[in-house]
Amino acid sequence: MSILPQALFSRRDLLKKSAVGFGNLALLSMLNDETRAASAKDPLSPKEPHFEPRAKRVIFLFMKGGPSHMDTFDYKPQLQKYDGKPLPFDKPRVQFAPTGNLLKSPWKFKQYGESGIHVSELFPNVAECVDDLCIINSLYGTNAAHGGALLKLHTGSDAFVRPSLGSWVTYGLGTENQNLPGFITICPTLAHGGVKNWSSAFLPAPYQGTPLGNAAVAAENAQIEFIKNGFLSRGVQRKQIDFLNDLNRMHQQQTGPNQILEDRIGSFELAFRMQEEVPQIQDISGETEATRKMYGLDEAETADFGRQCLMARRFAERGVRFIQVSHSDQKVQWDQHSDLLAGHGKNAKEVDKPIAALLKDLKQRGLLKDTLVVWGGEFGRTPTAQGKNGRDHNPEGFTMWLAGGGVKGGIKYGATDEFGYYAAKDKMHIHDFHATLLHLLGMNHEKLTYRYAGRDFRLTDVAGHVAHGVLA
Amino acid sequence: MTMHVSFREHFFSFVKPIFSGLLVAFIVLSASCLPAAEQQPDQKQIHFFESRIRPLLIKHCYDCHGPDEQESDLRVDTFKGIVQGGKAGSLVVPGKPEQSLLITAVLYQTPDLQMPPDEKLSKQEIEDLTNWVKMGAPYPNADLSLLRAANQKGKIDLEKEREFWSFQPVKKPALPEVKQAEWVKNPIDQFILHKLEQTGLTPAKPADRRTLIRRTTFDLTGLPPTPQEIEDFLNDSTPQAFEKVVDRLLASPHYGEHWGRHWLDIARYADSNGLDENVAMGNAWKYRDYVVNAFNKDKPYDLFLKEQLAGDLLEPAKDVAERNERLIATGFLLLGPKVLAEVDKTKMEMDIIDEQINTIGISLMGLTLGCARCHDHKFDPISANDYYGIAGILKSTKIMESYKTVGRWHENSLATKEDLKVQAEWDQKIKVEEDKISALVKSENERLQKEGGAEFKLPAKPEPTYSKEAQAQLKTLREQVASLKKERPEVPAAMGATEREIIDVPIHIRGSHLTLGETVPRHVPVVLSQQPQEPFPKERSGRLKFAEWLGNPEHPLTSRVIANRVWRWHFGKGIVSTPDNFGKLGAKPTNQPLLDWMAASLMEQGWSLKKLHRTILLSNTWQMSSEWNEKAATVDPENRLMWRTDVRRLDAESIRDSILAVSDGLDTKLGGSLLTVNNREFVFNHESKDGVTYDFNRRSIYLPVIRNHLFGMFMLFDYADASVLNGDRASTTVAPQALFLLNSHLVEDASQRMAEAILNQTALTPEQKIEQLVLKTYGRSPSKMEINRSLQFLDEIERDLQNEEPDSVKRNHRAWQVFCQSVFASSEFIFLR
Repeated sequence: MSILPQALFSRRDLLKKSAVGFGNLALLSMLNDETRAASAKDPLSPKEPHFEPRAKRVIFLFMKGGPSHMDTFDYKPQLQKYDGKPLPFDKPRVQFAPTGNLLKSPWKFKQYGESGIHVSELFPNVAECVDDLCIINSLYGTNAAHGGALLKLHTGSDAFVRPSLGSWVTYGLGTENQNLPGFITICPTLAHGGVKNWSSAFLPAPYQGTPLGNAAVAAENAQIEFIKNGFLSRGVQRKQIDFLNDLNRMHQQQTGPNQILEDRIGSFELAFRMQEEVPQIQDISGETEATRKMYGLDEAETADFGRQCLMARRFAERGVRFIQVSHSDQKVQWDQHSDLLAGHGKNAKEVDKPIAALLKDLKQRGLLKDTLVVWGGEFGRTPTAQGKNGRDHNPEGFTMWLAGGGVKGGIKYGATDEFGYYAAKDKMHIHDFHATLLHLLGMNHEKLTYRYAGRDFRLTDVAGHVAHGVLA
Repeated sequence: MTMHVSFREHFFSFVKPIFSGLLVAFIVLSASCLPAAEQQPDQKQIHFFESRIRPLLIKHCYDCHGPDEQESDLRVDTFKGIVQGGKAGSLVVPGKPEQSLLITAVLYQTPDLQMPPDEKLSKQEIEDLTNWVKMGAPYPNADLSLLRAANQKGKIDLEKEREFWSFQPVKKPALPEVKQAEWVKNPIDQFILHKLEQTGLTPAKPADRRTLIRRTTFDLTGLPPTPQEIEDFLNDSTPQAFEKVVDRLLASPHYGEHWGRHWLDIARYADSNGLDENVAMGNAWKYRDYVVNAFNKDKPYDLFLKEQLAGDLLEPAKDVAERNERLIATGFLLLGPKVLAEVDKTKMEMDIIDEQINTIGISLMGLTLGCARCHDHKFDPISANDYYGIAGILKSTKIMESYKTVGRWHENSLATKEDLKVQAEWDQKIKVEEDKISALVKSENERLQKEGGAEFKLPAKPEPTYSKEAQAQLKTLREQVASLKKERPEVPAAMGATEREIIDVPIHIRGSHLTLGETVPRHVPVVLSQQPQEPFPKERSGRLKFAEWLGNPEHPLTSRVIANRVWRWHFGKGIVSTPDNFGKLGAKPTNQPLLDWMAASLMEQGWSLKKLHRTILLSNTWQMSSEWNEKAATVDPENRLMWRTDVRRLDAESIRDSILAVSDGLDTKLGGSLLTVNNREFVFNHESKDGVTYDFNRRSIYLPVIRNHLFGMFMLFDYADASVLNGDRASTTVAPQALFLLNSHLVEDASQRMAEAILNQTALTPEQKIEQLVLKTYGRSPSKMEINRSLQFLDEIERDLQNEEPDSVKRNHRAWQVFCQSVFASSEFIFLR
């Protein structure tokens, strides 16, 4: 209960005036349109893209360690044929580790769907969705080490601290649910760039990714920091916030009009709501048995990643702009320098079913058409053998795929050479990939800029071409 | 020294013009032979172009860079297009294929520019293009003046550029006329008032004493004033009362902790490498303590810079302590984030140098020198030539022990004679034990030999045949040696720089170490050097010379940049609102005479920062209240002219420190390391397991700064990123900050402690308790309304807790705890007026 004159500080006024981190659009939507203008300063309020977007949000399924393209989505019959033979052309000037002769894939490939695209038996479930996939076989990067490659993929730069892709996207588009962060990353790895991979760097703080746990935490226990109050009941906390509001209003009366102090009062209200909303989204008890089964929550191998994928869908439904899901265990998950068979076998098993479930689930809910799903790792692997049965890092040519959000389904875009070492046809540099992603979201990568230290920075630096061939 | 002789002569004989990389190349060319491109091509050459080159361009390039489309603003179907180039710069340097963008692109030399994008040209085609450039890029009916124009395009008109305000030498301006002269306490006020009067504004009335001491104590120490300190100030009726406060605070060791932290922001200080391989920089804290001490000792700023850039080259130190201080200071050069697993060693080296240049440029000069890595600076008169002139200085400086993955930075030994003596004594102890072992082995062998007779041949491993006693003795001795070795006292070391092979660096075309241009002698940016430069010494990296150049009073930027930073850290905004950028794209000063006056005074006063603080704080400008003024707010809504004091949030460290301080939980011990990970070990390996803890009650400056994973509370409250230097921290208001204040253990524990302390004073009435708490946290007495509202709140909470907490004493305690927590979360606690 407040003893201050309510007329000065009605809840409605408060909502109109506050412009804070997680914004307040959900609240404002209850009010009329004129109040939208008042929130124009809110850094996370939705912004108009540069042109009609094909996708409204992104779910990035990041496979840490570098999944092998030749063993998954880049079918190379020649590799099978020339198994054990030397690579008939030069290896790159800089390599991570020396490798030997060509090594065939231990997995069989089959054609799927109407498109008849070859997918390896590592991904039998995702293969069922192949007609929704736009498989890009011609990616290439610049860095052969995990750290550099992760940073390159996530921020466009492997040498300098730059804002992450998700930060650029939320900076460009704002977000739709103002009670939630605009950019959430679920169970990210803290190694190889760690926070830099979801940091806003020089972009304002509200655009940084909000981590939900990290790779060392089970998805079930992943939480946003400080979201839980362990010592006060909600009722008591409500009274505390009312009291706090009074203290803050009394303080504010001494300083004259002050936007920041007003924002601050709003920020406590929003924090209070977030505390309620985030756990609700994470609580999957309301999902049907069929859904749980589809995501593999009832199987030991798939339960953890399945839960991450399911949470991603739940966040997407509620208007979070950019959601990253990381498949990263306590080691460098997909990094099979040796024993490709066992390692990739285990990894694919953990993600195949949940990913297929996510795609189908999004589709049946009508969300896939404006959600861009991205799958891939920081680089691919060499067609040549490392040791007896492993593959080394390969940034020279690798595969990622897109689904939903205005991309052509059931196609393969670009190609590597006949063995899969180098990107060869319709080559797509990481900058091109980023430019294409932004394009799908309705943004011109050359116009999405931020001035820092005297220059206008872009996600794509001074490069990047949109790959029009992937657009639907 | 690998410098080209003719180039050197040219370089130092031209004072006026500044050369872009390409132009330099061009002139060098002209010194040896007639420029190929200046001669009209002969028929044979034209034929070569028409038969080999033009068809090639048509086939592979015209689609994207022809009459219809000009990607990256480049077209190659005209001579003009080829010469002018596109966004990436001119395509050819006639006669110099290795410096021509066209050739590096078709060679696929750098990953970022490979043309044609889909498929590399054939070997023959590349050879043809290379030969064509070698010939001087002959083109039929070419307008050769274009070539010169293209080269002139990059040329910087130095005299004109030097007219830019921040490149002008600092001159102490005359004090301006003011009407309200009685308001002026010192020249700062005069400059401020002059601007206000010009705009028809008046300064706000002075702040009350409680507000003033709170503001000033936080400003200088990052801590709140104690009730006693406030009391003393209120009771001091002498005219020097405030001066005494300022002097007391400047003499406090907490001053260095708070202001040293400001410096650490622009030194991108951290305790871990960050970037790709996040290993602990276990000795970085020594640099941090050096900075704190330097501020506390009021080390002259020019010396402070000199030590950080070239402390190892200053001589002679008067003692080991001074030597060590200087060695530690050079840690400044090493603190940056480095890609330690970069497979390409040369790239790693040049990226590290780039990080250093960028830091030196921005933090010390307010110039984005790093922009000139790939091309001449687009806005400021800094050429790629200037960039590589500095790169040479840094490449001649050893900061890495090894570039082999994972790269290892260099550390200088800080051993004192005593340390070395202790170590030598220890080694002696080891030797004694080892001697015992050899003696025993020898005697046992001899015994066996003797017992076995002449025929006996000692087995290869005779030990099992020793006597039981000898074997046991050996075992003990060996264990002793092992443990002695394990405990061998390490000689202290610190991250730091030293000299190495002196070398000049070639221009890296487009910033790539794979496409090298002409070698550039080490030098400082030409636009900032009025006199023709003396060559840098052949036997020294030139760091000292560079540092001396920075600290020279003629340097137009050094004093201005630091004076502006000091102002920024006092007032929350700079006179130049972009303290990290004094170049063309930076903001112009809102009051240049004031800035220049401060810069000049700083130098006159022997670069003493404490004297500058004193001048600023004793001005009426500092002592204004934050009173609102409708008229002024309309004229100058951002308060750029300083008609009042801004209301400002505390920084992350001050919030944490004051929560701890007012709850009597702050340990004010100075210095040392709290990092729990050993030097060079991973703070997280692939496991994402956090080896670092922040659970200390020490001041925030001493908490580990882990790149890629900063302490959560710091990140929320806009702490410096620690990878990117930042002299102008943001001050955001976001909901997660509220979550921290409402839900974190740190605030919970502090409020618990505070409630307990106040409840222990059983003689106090609830009103008095509230009074005390408010005094401690806000530095003032509560109003009647506040007391009533607080009592009402305590009642409400106690009532609400009845269901949860049957014990009335505990219930009461919890209610007070919630009250204390609310105070910590309140605006008044974390905002200054």
